[in-house]
Amino acid sequence: MALIELTDVTFTYPDSLQPAITNLSLRIEKGQFVVLFGASGSGKSTLLKLLKNEIRPHGTLTGNIVINGSPIQDSSGLSQEIGFVFQDPENQIVADDVLHELVFGLENIGLTTNEMRNRVAEMVHFFGADDLLRRKSHELSGGKKQQINLASALLMQPNILLLDEPTSQLDPVSTRELLDMLKRLNEEFGMTIVLAEHRLEEVFTLADTIIMMEKGEVLIAGEPRQVLPQIWNSKNRAYVPGIPSLFLKMHEKGLLPLTVKEGRNWIATIKPTFLATETEKQQQQSKNVIKTKGLSFRYEKSREFVLDELDFALNKGEFYALLGGNGSGKSTLIKALAGLVKSEQGKIWIDDKPIKSYKNNDFTKYIGYLPQNPKLFFLQDTVERELHATMEQFGLTDWTETEALLEELGIVHLKTNHPYDLSGGEIQKAALACVLLRKPKVLLLDEPTKGLDPISKKNLANILLSVKSNGVSILMSTHDVEFAAQHATKCGMMFQGKITSEDNPERFFNGNFFYTTMIQRIFRGQAMMPLTLEEAAHSCVSTIS
Amino acid sequence: MGTRFARFHPLVSFLFYAGSVMLLILMLHPVFQVISVFLIIGINIIHDRLAGLRKWKYLLLVTFVLMVVLNPLFNERGRHLLFMAGDHRITLEAVLYGGMNAFSIIGIIAVFISYNVIMTPNKVLFLFSKFLPQFAVLLMLTLRFIPLMSRRMEEISLVQKSKGIMVTNGNWRTRVKTAFSYVQALLTYSLEEAIQTADSMKARGYGTGPRTSYEFFRIRSKDSIAIVILTLLLSIIIYGRSLGYGVLTIYPMMEDWRLATWDTAVLICYILYLSFPIYVEAGEAFRWHLSN
Repeated sequence: MALIELTDVTFTYPDSLQPAITNLSLRIEKGQFVVLFGASGSGKSTLLKLLKNEIRPHGTLTGNIVINGSPIQDSSGLSQEIGFVFQDPENQIVADDVLHELVFGLENIGLTTNEMRNRVAEMVHFFGADDLLRRKSHELSGGKKQQINLASALLMQPNILLLDEPTSQLDPVSTRELLDMLKRLNEEFGMTIVLAEHRLEEVFTLADTIIMMEKGEVLIAGEPRQVLPQIWNSKNRAYVPGIPSLFLKMHEKGLLPLTVKEGRNWIATIKPTFLATETEKQQQQSKNVIKTKGLSFRYEKSREFVLDELDFALNKGEFYALLGGNGSGKSTLIKALAGLVKSEQGKIWIDDKPIKSYKNNDFTKYIGYLPQNPKLFFLQDTVERELHATMEQFGLTDWTETEALLEELGIVHLKTNHPYDLSGGEIQKAALACVLLRKPKVLLLDEPTKGLDPISKKNLANILLSVKSNGVSILMSTHDVEFAAQHATKCGMMFQGKITSEDNPERFFNGNFFYTTMIQRIFRGQAMMPLTLEEAAHSCVSTIS
Repeated sequence: MGTRFARFHPLVSFLFYAGSVMLLILMLHPVFQVISVFLIIGINIIHDRLAGLRKWKYLLLVTFVLMVVLNPLFNERGRHLLFMAGDHRITLEAVLYGGMNAFSIIGIIAVFISYNVIMTPNKVLFLFSKFLPQFAVLLMLTLRFIPLMSRRMEEISLVQKSKGIMVTNGNWRTRVKTAFSYVQALLTYSLEEAIQTADSMKARGYGTGPRTSYEFFRIRSKDSIAIVILTLLLSIIIYGRSLGYGVLTIYPMMEDWRLATWDTAVLICYILYLSFPIYVEAGEAFRWHLSN
């Protein structure tokens, strides 16, 4: 008997015409690692929440959900059976220090202090989190917060663990750590794990079953190796990660490689020959739009410099991707360039004029800044009103132009919505629309790819490239190596408040070991090291096929 | 690690803070209030070396100045004319009244800042979850909001600054409008995020059954003594207040601000009550000194 069994489940939110989940049937066996994916708004989160009685959203539910043999509607006390980790690391934290956060659930189910001590001691050991116990929870990094959230869910000793995009706010290293933890839980303790996720490169290698959802229905479900070719041949090609994509693109037969190791083995068997690629385009030296010299900044006097004597230049028409670990100062640099934080030392020139010589409105007209959290961008309660307010502020009157911009971004139908009701990709586009209205010459984007599904990411790339072709220079910080490799014209690595290396993507990534694409990793040591799928498929011809 | 006051049973701390807020509201008398502000600053120094107060200093200052200035502007009542601004009467009564309310408000804010250091959410939950689980959730969310909101406000003003919208821009009308839209954005955003916090609590079985507490806050004899002292002082003050002591009547006719004998007696109790965290700490330091 399956551990989780859904038959003909339909769920409709109140005041909504279309059901969020439509006629969904699903079986999940004990001990499986299941990955749910699909565009945002496809019903992943709703499905996960339906599985946990306590947080089941309001609405009408028909069909049966049976967990461990008992229908979910009349099973109380399942809270210990099922653990849930949410998307945002910050919002799910209740207590202000870590220990209290960990025991919160245990207190709720009424354990004695001794039992709690045992469980906590064990879990803290498993996570290696001894030194975190007495820390304030808001001081922790996003990755650590999410580990604490996972730990506090695990302390309830659940059999089933549900995770709703737990890594979407994390950097690649923290993501890796969290996923490794899940893998251990699944393999060493046989825990059943259902994970909704956008970033598929890593999770596909862990999953037993992957389920693709679309508009509340299961589109495709099955073992990754069997299902991926189907997805590749559908309109959802963007969801297939780099290595299997290359394999499928070259019409290879045999075992589908998922990991870098399998990919390298496959490359070794086919012995690719490389076509000569066109010689590198001559980089023409164009004008600087932003230049900094010796920029230093720290948040408090007692703390270390976040930006440390930083020299940086953004040329006209460039698409600059800024990479680097958490806390390396990427966001701060962007804020400094947007004139939001004042540097302690050093100078910034915008369009060859010192930043101080700009008046406020001229400056905001010249530089568009998109914050990491686009929710904070909106002051009005609909997208349309926000756009109107922006137009008024900058003396624009041509609403047809605005409409055309919305059309281009594909968010015309959303303009009467409240910004918070939009999905991650949509709200970002709406904010971007407000920024683009004032026709900035420079766009500064702080991690615009965070939490986006592959389709939205592609969308974003197209928008940015079209903006760039209009002569706008773009600087973005990102953790998304694949995105940077595909679209940026220049990449820079930030480390300890300095930009330690910068170059065009080919040369930049060739020198890197960790900060590089999956495709490049499987070609490492070959005569040529292509970076992106397109390059690889273009330059490498299989000898077999 | 931790102050002596923080190690009292949560009931003691809660009683102290609830009582303090009550006294700050009730005892509207310039002498009482000036003393109380100094005492509360002293408490804040001991608890977090003024870190919290420093963060809120602008809010405190602005509130204070606004209340002191605005009241005489809108209120002409009173017999003691200070001066005429045009044909507007500025009276001593109005200034005093505004000043007393201002002291009362900033005193309460300062007490809450200290409360936030001492009453960790877990203590609050411990106090309330036994008999009022729903109220405890509400209280805790509200309390976590105070530092969280100030951090969010900073973020919002930063992001809005990038759009060219600043509170320092334009005439005062636009400024007020901007400030209001900031606050609105802050509230909407915070409420939205709080839904997730509630979900996360429910997901971990909050409110499903009787709750236990990880740290046993047992009432020890020291706690009982503290409760007795605080309750006694508080009852004396309230009794005195009900007889009209410790409050300066301004309207219809202003009393003499000087303290009568009974006023002084109430004031002593008042000082003893508010400085409770201070002498507790002093006693601890003294004992430490003796034992070494």
